Amino acid sequence: METITAPERVESDVPEVDAAPDTPWLVIVWNDPINLMSYVTWVFQDLFGYSRSKATKLMLQVHHQGRAVVSSGSREKAELDCFRLHARGLWATLSKSD
Amino acid sequence: MVEVVHSRGKDPILMLDAQERDLMHQLLGEMRTLLEADIPRVDEVTRRLFPDAFDDPDESNKFRELVGDELRSAKLAAVDAFDEQLGGAGSRGISLEPETTQGLLAVLTDLRLAIGTRLGVTEEKMQIEPDPSDPEAPAMSVLHWLGWIQESVLAEIDGRGGRWKWS
Repeated sequence: METITAPERVESDVPEVDAAPDTPWLVIVWNDPINLMSYVTWVFQDLFGYSRSKATKLMLQVHHQGRAVVSSGSREKAELDCFRLHARGLWATLSKSD
Repeated sequence: MVEVVHSRGKDPILMLDAQERDLMHQLLGEMRTLLEADIPRVDEVTRRLFPDAFDDPDESNKFRELVGDELRSAKLAAVDAFDEQLGGAGSRGISLEPETTQGLLAVLTDLRLAIGTRLGVTEEKMQIEPDPSDPEAPAMSVLHWLGWIQESVLAEIDGRGGRWKWS
């Protein structure tokens, strides 16, 4: 992702956002060199209602690790989330959780 | 020059000068053409705007058949709305209303993705100042300009705690 503004300060006590073990489908967002870090953070807040700190943590995970699980649930929910992420220009895929 | 103007009790206004407005109209026209064309899946820009949703190509194609048209319509509607808001000569700028700003940010993103994908940008390339003699320099400048507009709008949202509470 492109950095224009200074890196965000991240709180260290943010809970993990990994999917619960009983949810079969994961929505994954992948890093890309074009989207702005601030935009990606805001999309996570706006689409999923995540707090600023949770959204920032996910964005940084995408940025540094190349991908992050941003939501999970039934196949229908995962497909809808993926569609909404594509509509916002984020590179998202879904896969079944093993 | 990109500027956001505030006045009490009203939505913030995104101001572009005449030259910038013309450029934006042109870019929106190109994006409309791109979205309306039946471009094969092999095109890298189309693939970025309509990404594979699954590892399995068959599953991805099924998903695309299911929602691809809807995605295309949503993107086109956002382009049209932005183009209309942009207005012509004498425009007083773009009112950043909660209902339309989300679409505006999505359109700016799609424009940046189309240009950046075509240029094959990398994170390193995004960080360096384009060399004026580079034939790609004008397109890189447009990419950064679109990013600057996006940052300006996002700063407005951020200043309100990420919520859609204007004025």
